[in-house]
Amino acid sequence: MSVMDIGSNRSTTRQQKDGAMDARTAGQRLINQWLASLGTAHERGQHVAYIFVMGNAIEILRAFDFEMAFPEINSLQSGVRKSAPDFIAKAEDFGFSPDVCSYVKADVGLMLSNMMHPSGIQMPEPDLAIASSLCNVYIKWAEIWERRFGTPVFVLDIPGKRFATWKVPPGSPQHKADARWVEGQLRDLIARCEQITGKTFDLDRLAEVETYVNEMVRLWIDILAFNQHRPAPYNSMLDGLTYMGVLNAWRGTPEGVEYMRLLHAEIADKVARGEGRVANERFRLIFSGTPCYVNMRRLIELFESHGGVFPASDYLTYAAGGLDSAGLFYDTSRPLESLAEVTTLAAQMGLSNHFFSHHTLAQQLRDYSADGIVYHGIKSCRTVATSMADNREYVTTRHGMPTLYIESDLIDPRYWSDAQIKNRVDAFFELLEQRRNLAGMKGRE
Amino acid sequence: MEYVAGIDVGSTQAKGVILDEQGALISKAIIDMETNMGTAAEVVFQHVLASANLPARAIAFTVATGYGRYRVTFGDRQVTEISCHARGALAEFPGTRTVLDIGGQDTKAIRIGDSGEVIDFAMNDKCAAGTGRFLGAASFALEMPLSELGPLALQSTRPVRITTTCTVFAETEIIGHLAKGHLPEDVLMGMHYSIATRCASLVRRVGLTPEVTFSGGVSRNQAMVVLLQEVLGTPLNHSAQAQFMGAIGAALYALDNIHLGRRSEHSLKEGAR
Repeated sequence: MSVMDIGSNRSTTRQQKDGAMDARTAGQRLINQWLASLGTAHERGQHVAYIFVMGNAIEILRAFDFEMAFPEINSLQSGVRKSAPDFIAKAEDFGFSPDVCSYVKADVGLMLSNMMHPSGIQMPEPDLAIASSLCNVYIKWAEIWERRFGTPVFVLDIPGKRFATWKVPPGSPQHKADARWVEGQLRDLIARCEQITGKTFDLDRLAEVETYVNEMVRLWIDILAFNQHRPAPYNSMLDGLTYMGVLNAWRGTPEGVEYMRLLHAEIADKVARGEGRVANERFRLIFSGTPCYVNMRRLIELFESHGGVFPASDYLTYAAGGLDSAGLFYDTSRPLESLAEVTTLAAQMGLSNHFFSHHTLAQQLRDYSADGIVYHGIKSCRTVATSMADNREYVTTRHGMPTLYIESDLIDPRYWSDAQIKNRVDAFFELLEQRRNLAGMKGRE
Repeated sequence: MEYVAGIDVGSTQAKGVILDEQGALISKAIIDMETNMGTAAEVVFQHVLASANLPARAIAFTVATGYGRYRVTFGDRQVTEISCHARGALAEFPGTRTVLDIGGQDTKAIRIGDSGEVIDFAMNDKCAAGTGRFLGAASFALEMPLSELGPLALQSTRPVRITTTCTVFAETEIIGHLAKGHLPEDVLMGMHYSIATRCASLVRRVGLTPEVTFSGGVSRNQAMVVLLQEVLGTPLNHSAQAQFMGAIGAALYALDNIHLGRRSEHSLKEGAR
């Protein structure tokens, strides 16, 4: 089983009729290949970097041929693979509070389990870790590796939101100043990578990696837009999560581009055939927040049983490794400067989506012809949940849109109460039905 | 004459009502919850039938609500208690725009639109603080029936500030205050105030819009009514039927169904027998 399994509505993989590999099988192979390669990286003499999904400078690391481990993905996989409770318990036995981010605790649990990941891969220790200012836990999390493994930690200080309406137009003096600040840090990172790997930085290699990223971004934007069709060809919070897993792990690689092309073609075909993820799509909803990986399939089942689908989610923008839907492309003729420019803008957009997402969500409501928004608060991440009350009020009062707030956790099953969640979801659909019937009656008057 | 039933299987009690086809309340019954929700639903149904002197086959349609709604084997349809409480509250107080329901383990605030539709709702999450269970803990700690808590609390002149909202730790805190020499009525009033502020927060979350109707078992507690009115700054509708509002709402949904020509498969089977 792999990260792909959360999005599968089939128990076995399949091949397309013409014998070519389908995107699901391709994605599953890529994830397995990535994990296997990670497990043997040190044997091959390859260096390993621990990075996060937001603000990770992966392009530079690829140029140095690092193998990439994403502790967030390790942790979410432990949720999908049902190992999270054991890992979390180990971290809590060690002294971590139940209120600490469950991703962090699952990672600590992994460390306390001799790095044996439930995927069967012996996770390598990091040779370098990159944290960024995009999540307030990242830096403290990286300190744990620093202390436990003696890992050199590089913190990328990426200027994010200064206030709610903060906007930095590309090319503006502010953008240039921010980009210079980040570029200086990237140059420091390059020097650090040269020191660790013994390799000389190759600017052409960076440009090549960026070319692949550009192509992946172009395809990703299309893939997100495909779900504006009715019925939505995929569920952003189930299938979409698996797409994003591959996106993050294979960002800036030819394999990643190939996967995205395959996926793009498959979804385009579904759109052409008018095939929806849900057989009888009745309600289209936007999902805001981070998934509950430990019970995501169940949550989606609850919605799909009412004909509800999530064509879009802010999660697919801010957690897609900087592959934001806003269309930020690298100028490969000046790869380093461009990387700095895009990194600053992507960070500002990412943070915008995360903490000040009301305008983005309102736009998604229109773009995806949605009937409402579902907010998922995370018990072990108050940061993510903090903005949701304001946001919900904005959407309800300014846009008159129905919203639902449910709460569980990223991967801690103790915070999943099936009866409570089902009750709220059922009531929300009753509300949506009432609203639709009422609109129908008013339309007939 | 046809009849409909509404069965509300909650966490602490099961409630049932029968309405006639004009929507008039014919009978009602309430029992304490048993381990088996399905059995409790069956028992309350038998009570309500006996009280109305009707056979089961006379019930043309049954809607079940509450956490145990899917355990009501004779239910023809399930509707959540959010929709049912809103419907029940509107039936008794047509001006209702906000419902506050304090039940055994859930407190819910429901906002209702001008056409009677549910616009928004908020409920306590993960924790039974601010629900009837909190009063249950007080009842246990003070060895006093639930019905006596409110009247005693209203005699308080110097309410104690209760800092915990945890139902589990409430008992310890009560005992601690009593040990310090505080009067039971002052401790109780502090507890009521603690619940009222927590519930008021839920109401504000959906947008406090008069009229506010207070439903659920806790609405029979006069101290809670007084305090909530004070905290929310608005009078509350409350009635003797408050505990039955969910069941009445469910029965009204059942009535909609028979007006649409639907009939219970269960009662048809009963009739055939």
